[in-house]
Amino acid sequence: MEISDENFRVWAEKNEVYFDGVFRLAGPDAYAPIYSLISGLLHEGHKQVTFNLTGLEFLNSSGINLLAKLTIEARKMDDLLLVVKGTSQYPWQAKSLPNLKKLHPLIDLRLA
Amino acid sequence: MMDGKSKRPARLGSFRAKFILVVGGAVLFDLLVSGGLALWNVQRLSRDATLEVGQGLEAASQEYIRTYADSTAAQVSLLLRQVHNDVSTLAGVLQAQIDDPERNSVVGAAIARTSPGSVSLSYDQKANWSQNAPGSVSVVSVWSYLLGEDHNPRPDVQTDIQTSAVLDLVAPSLLQHGASKLQMYYIGSKERPIFRTAPYTDQAQTFDRLYPGHNEANFWDFFFPGLYESWQGWAKDMKTRPVADDITQTAPYTDAITGKLIVSFFQPLWTADRKDVAGTAGADITLDQLAQTVENVKVAQSGFGFLAMSDGNVVAINSTGEKTLGLRSASDASGSGVTGLERSLKGSSQPAIAKLALDRELGIQHLLLQQEGNEVPYIVIVKKLPATNLWSSGPVRQEAMSLGVVVPEREIQASLYAAQAKISEATNRIVIYQILAILMSLLVVAIAVIAASKRITSGISALADAAKRIQAKDYSVRVAITSKDEVGEAGEAFNRMAEQISYHTENLEQLVEERTAQIEDAKEEISTLNAQLQRENRRLGTELAVAERIQLMVLPLHQELEEFQALEIAAYMRPAEEVGGDYYDVLKSGNRLKIGIGDVTGHGLESGVLMLMVQSVARALQEAGNTDAVKFLTDLNSALFKNIVRTKIDKHLTLAFLDYDGKEMILSGQHEEVVVVRANGEVERIDTMDLGIPIGLEADISAFIKTREITFETGDLILLHTDGVTEAENDAGELFGIERLCREALRLKDQSAEKVVAGIIATLMLFIGSQKIYDDITLLAVRHR
Repeated sequence: MEISDENFRVWAEKNEVYFDGVFRLAGPDAYAPIYSLISGLLHEGHKQVTFNLTGLEFLNSSGINLLAKLTIEARKMDDLLLVVKGTSQYPWQAKSLPNLKKLHPLIDLRLA
Repeated sequence: MMDGKSKRPARLGSFRAKFILVVGGAVLFDLLVSGGLALWNVQRLSRDATLEVGQGLEAASQEYIRTYADSTAAQVSLLLRQVHNDVSTLAGVLQAQIDDPERNSVVGAAIARTSPGSVSLSYDQKANWSQNAPGSVSVVSVWSYLLGEDHNPRPDVQTDIQTSAVLDLVAPSLLQHGASKLQMYYIGSKERPIFRTAPYTDQAQTFDRLYPGHNEANFWDFFFPGLYESWQGWAKDMKTRPVADDITQTAPYTDAITGKLIVSFFQPLWTADRKDVAGTAGADITLDQLAQTVENVKVAQSGFGFLAMSDGNVVAINSTGEKTLGLRSASDASGSGVTGLERSLKGSSQPAIAKLALDRELGIQHLLLQQEGNEVPYIVIVKKLPATNLWSSGPVRQEAMSLGVVVPEREIQASLYAAQAKISEATNRIVIYQILAILMSLLVVAIAVIAASKRITSGISALADAAKRIQAKDYSVRVAITSKDEVGEAGEAFNRMAEQISYHTENLEQLVEERTAQIEDAKEEISTLNAQLQRENRRLGTELAVAERIQLMVLPLHQELEEFQALEIAAYMRPAEEVGGDYYDVLKSGNRLKIGIGDVTGHGLESGVLMLMVQSVARALQEAGNTDAVKFLTDLNSALFKNIVRTKIDKHLTLAFLDYDGKEMILSGQHEEVVVVRANGEVERIDTMDLGIPIGLEADISAFIKTREITFETGDLILLHTDGVTEAENDAGELFGIERLCREALRLKDQSAEKVVAGIIATLMLFIGSQKIYDDITLLAVRHR
């Protein structure tokens, strides 16, 4: 499964979701397919799901809203470990990703 | 539908005419060439066959004649050889007796005793010779000059009479068997030429009648002059024999005893010492017997044989042959001795025959003989018989008789002519058949070509006609070509094309109508869509306009910002083209001041509405006297969260507040960094990440809210902004950034809040240039007077 356009690409490999490029989608409706893709993966029954954001150069506020919602979704599943791999190379990640930890303290947040 | 069989005459220059011309011409040429070749070959074959057959037949005929001549010659030779053998047998017995005188006398005495008739002679007074009486096996004649005074044979003669009687023992048997002979005899030596002959005839009497005077002359000299002397010569030297054989033959002559033409064969007897002649053994055969063989020759219808002596004297020939060869018998008694027969080729009335040399083996000759004034071609083959010693008169010489076979050439060639006629007939028949076959082929080919051309070109002309008709805008035309070839395929293709053309032309209007209708439909759809778009645009435009109005509508009024003595507040907000959800507010309640700044996620009406809610809730909480910054934010979030769930507005916002009570400046909530520029020029960037969490994500955020006091004294400047400022892009895609903001704030720190905001915005707009403004731009400056 993969969703992409000329600026970004989201795809899943087993239990890891990769975000790549620049996400400037206009609002929640635009982000809905990506939400379905990742939400589906969360419910596949994996012990651990990883959001790999190391290639995610920019994510607009609607995108951050999406990550927040997915985090809250994962928080509802007791036996699922959510791993978020980020990078402090992109300032927005250092700024926004800790919020996910606030929403779901059990997240394994790795800001490389 | 159109009939493919168009009644179009094949005019010159039409495809069909060309087709017929080309194919017909090719076939005609081919036929003429092959036919001509065939005819020429047949003629040549016939000629060759005729020649071959002619040569073969001629060779065969000649071979046949040659073989015939050979076999005839062999027969003649055989006959002669048989006679020779008989004579040799008799001679052998007599010679054996001579060589044994004692036995000779004893045998002679014995025969005299047992057959007295054979040795007892009686004298004929009148004729003056002695002869035994009839009834004996042989007759013995003793001539006058061999008789004594008493008319009895001389004693030595008597001895000979007695010893010669041995002939009685041999001759009858030899006459009975072997070759057919007229008579066999013994003639004594020249001294005693008695003449003993078997069978018994009136020998002496016949001699008297035919050869008067013979009784007075020596027998040998009278009858065979020179013969005896020749033999005597042989006795001296055998090498003098003309042919290495003792047998001596005479030329044909009239027999004195029988009166028939005969040939005599002698074998001389020798004395015991072989020094002289002691008489002879002899046998006569009639010429008929010899000639029989030759005269029986019958080649073709009128072919005949002849036997000739080397001097050209023909000794045997049938009457037809005699006439054909123009022979004339001339019994001239000019010769002496036995009467010969003169019927020579040299005397022939036919010049060709007269010229015919018989002394050489000539093989086959072609002669022209005169017959009833015409020259008739004949084939003559002459074959030499084995040589023999011949006496005709005088000394014995070598003689080789020749056998000739004469056939009219016409008869020999008859089979050839027949064969030639047959071949010619066959040739003519073949030629006629060939010509007929060629004509038939031509007919068949012509019919086939015309039919095929019709078949082939009918399709093509049908196609051409149909094409013309289509040109004339008759689209109903179809061709009916049934042939299973390319023309048929072309026809099918044509029909499909015609159908399509017809369909397209006939349905053009309909198609145009349909298309027009479709276009109209499309147009209508487009119009509808346009209208929809316009409506949508209008709606969106309206929505955006509404959103923008909402956003700007709830902003504090200019005069509200100027109500504070201690603080100088200036604000700037520019909604983006798609209207974001930036929020700022300045809420005054008593002596308390609450400055808020926030940013709703996304754009559009919903963001505006959410922002409006935030403003209303904040105002309500402020009015309700909620002074605890943490509680304030917690309650606000709680209210907002519930409204977000209700309205399903899938958004949240960052929100931070500055609370000022105249002394302390308290910062709470998570938003962009707060920039503080001190009077002394220090720039401080305060991170708000740990002071809260976005509003609207969680029902209860009390655990996350923190407050922070900001030192705020005279001359200090606090800048609040949304990410629309720091994330504004220039043409190169660079972001304006927090550092530039800080530099600009520092540059303008001594100016009024208004000027600071205006200056920073001017720089920012310069930075952005013609780039699109993606996000709302909000900037607040708070200055401590």
